[in-house]
Formats: sequence, C-alpha cells, structure tokens
Amino acid sequence: MSSPVPVVLERAAVTAPAVGGVAARELLSPTTLHLNDRRIALIGANGQGKTTLLRLLAGLVAPSSGSVSVAGLQWARDAKALRGAVGMLFADTAAQLIMPVVQEDVELSLRPRRLPRHERRAEALAQLRALGIERLAERSVYELSGGERQLVALAGLRAAAPRLLLADEPTAALDLVHRDSVAAALLGSEASLIVATHDLELAAECERAVWIHGGRVVADGPPDELIAAYRASARGLAPWPGAETGAEA
Amino acid sequence: MNPGPGALLAWIPGASPVHRAPLWLKYLVLVALGLLGTVWRTAPVGLGLLLLSVALYALAGRAVLRTWATPLRFWWWILLLLGTYQWFFVSPPAAVGLVACMFALVQCARLLLLTTPTSELLDGLSAAAAAVRIPPERTALVLALFLRTLPELSASWGRSREAAAARGLKRAPLRTATSLGVMAVARARDAGDAMAARGLLAEPAEHPSEPRATR
Repeated sequence: MSSPVPVVLERAAVTAPAVGGVAARELLSPTTLHLNDRRIALIGANGQGKTTLLRLLAGLVAPSSGSVSVAGLQWARDAKALRGAVGMLFADTAAQLIMPVVQEDVELSLRPRRLPRHERRAEALAQLRALGIERLAERSVYELSGGERQLVALAGLRAAAPRLLLADEPTAALDLVHRDSVAAALLGSEASLIVATHDLELAAECERAVWIHGGRVVADGPPDELIAAYRASARGLAPWPGAETGAEA
Repeated sequence: MNPGPGALLAWIPGASPVHRAPLWLKYLVLVALGLLGTVWRTAPVGLGLLLLSVALYALAGRAVLRTWATPLRFWWWILLLLGTYQWFFVSPPAAVGLVACMFALVQCARLLLLTTPTSELLDGLSAAAAAVRIPPERTALVLALFLRTLPELSASWGRSREAAAARGLKRAPLRTATSLGVMAVARARDAGDAMAARGLLAEPAEHPSEPRATR
C-alpha cells in the first residue's frame, strides 16, 4: 500500500459571489485541516459543505481565501501536476460519463498517456475486469443502471490513476449488491480516499472522520465517536453543533 | 438516463463490410456524397441518394437497417417545414430534391457514427489534427463533448416534458425550451468538471463557483 497523500487546508474558505440580487454566500468557513490518512470520511447533513470541500480539494472550486495543498502542491500554482493526481467521483455519475459506450468512456481517461489503441483497449478492459464489470464493456452508457453507472465512472477514474480519490455520495441510491461493490472498490483502491457520505457503515470503515456542519468542521477524529455524536444530533438526542451559540441546525 | 433521439447516433457493434471499412474510406464516401447532394440538389439525385442510403444500411446489417426510418419520428417536422416552404415558394421538384438530399445525407452521416466506435473517430480526428499541428488530444476532447451534447440535450428535453407531465402540467414548448437552455448550461459545466475530475484538463478553477448542489 502506498503512503497516504497529505492534504492541507490553511484557513481555506469558499464564498459564492453575489449574482444579480442574490447576496454573496459563504459555503465553507475558513477551515484549517491537516489530512494524512488513507481513508477519510466526511459526514454531516445535507447542504452543510461536504461537496464544497471535495470540489475545493479537486480544484473545481478555487478558495476565496486561504490555501489548499495536495501532496505539497497547490492548485493555484501546480494545476497541471495536480490534475492527473486527483480524481473525483461525482454524486451524479450521469454527468461523469462522457463517451457513449462503456469501454470507450474508460479509454478516454487513458488518452493523455498516448498509448497505442490496442494497449488502451486492453487497459480499459483490465480496469473494468478489476471491478467485475467487464460484461458491460460494449454497453451504451445510457442503458446502465445507477449501480452500474457508478462502477463504470469509478473504472474511468481509476484508469486515470489518481493518487487521491475523492468520492461524493458514492453509495447513494444503490441496492445492497452495488453498494457493497462500490464500497469495496473504493476502500480497496491504491489511491488515498476522501469520501463524503451519508452511508455511515462506509464511514465507519474509514480511519478518520470529519464532521461538517454549517460550512464548518465541527469535529474530527475516529469514525465511531463522530458517527455516534452525529446520530445523536440527527435524532434529536443532542443539539446540533453550534446550536447552543445560535448557529443554524 | 433517457437516451431519446440521441441514441440514434450511438454505435451499433457489428462485423459488416461497412463496419470493417477503414475510417478514411467512410469519410471519403461521405464527402463525395455530400458534394453530390449539395451541388446537384435535384429530385432524381435526392431520390437516388435515399435509395443508396437504404442500400448502405442494409449492407451494414439488419440491426443498422432497422434504425433507418427512426430519425423521421423525431425530425419529420423539420423536413415537412422545409419541404412545404420549397413546394410553395420554389417548385415541387425543388422541394422533393431538397428534402430527399438533406435526409439522405443526414442518414449517410449517421451511418458513419452507427458503424464506427467513437474512440476510432477520435483517433482519426486526432491524427488529422496532429497532421496540421492542431493539438490532437484537445481536438478529440472537443469531438467527444460534441457527440455527448446531442444525446444529453435530447434526454434533457424528454426529462423536462416528463417532469411537467408528472405534475399534471400541459405541454408548453416555451417553458420546456427555457428549462432546456438552463440545463444545457449546467450540463456543459458538469462536462468540464467531469473532464477535470479525470485529469483531462489542466486549467485550475479561477473563481469560487456559483452555489451548486451541496451536501
């Protein structure tokens, strides 16, 4: 197993700019985090900033202040080097599949390597085989079920060989079989993993959890403790973090 | 994902002579027929091209031939509009020539997509782009995105209509078109993000993004 990819946020914040009559809105408060574990879960209720944090790490959003570095490289300075090193699995994988046929979509990730066509095909098939979905190679991406689509999107990402894999709700709306396949593929990946999830079983299998609430990191530590605290808040047995100081629950 | 009319352009696997023909030959035939149908846009040429397109589809196999008439389900109104205009403002033979040539050429272009894997099309385009010193991979990505846009737009159109019907709303083309425009922009952004998330684009995000679905 390779060593974890260090991720450092120094007072990194994301503010959506004012548009028309809509005022600027802070999506992520200034956050300082040092992540250096192989499997990290981001937990928290809907709309609290988990996806924003992932997009920040993926370089899809620039911080409005502060800095973000992955493996010692900063998006603002070293985008070219980072682009191939960080991959992100979207919550809506329909948006992630670009080519019309499964194998071609995986091949697309291999194009920057300029492999001969037969090698590219063999490599794409190997990626599909590794996830147990080689049978889907010639299927249209429009005919896939939600679970199959998730696995194909993951195969496409793995083909790009990222060192850090970010996953946004990878097991949402999947049946148990596909949920287990996706979870096993993510947890067994060579790349370091940061996963935003409501699947607390998946979060429990990570080494570390980060609880995000109201655009802030409110707790950071062993998954079991954080999951228990999060469950208590979600079920009304404990106040939401910050509720006592008037923050929105 | 509902494919809608976009699926009309999806590759159909096969081993027919049309499938096995080299890409350059397919392009050559397409360009030649395109020139013929554009320069001599007469009724006999149009009808001849239509017959030829049927023959080529038949040569490509039963699965491909079965799709020959399918585009009419989606695009008949364009042909009807153009044909009616030509019929009354030019002449009936001109209307037949235009409509037949146009549909036949669309069918021939479709045949190229139906019988060629997209990655092969991208390889061909990359090679052509490299020959004239245009960045090959970037060119291939542009084509990939273009080919993705058509099914996406048609699927979005279908989804908008279904969403309206699910709430008991009547058909409203303007409302559907507005929603389609918004979705098209969102999908274009998603496609850019999807490329970036797979290491296919190197440019960093320059600004904090507008509010998006967050979890």
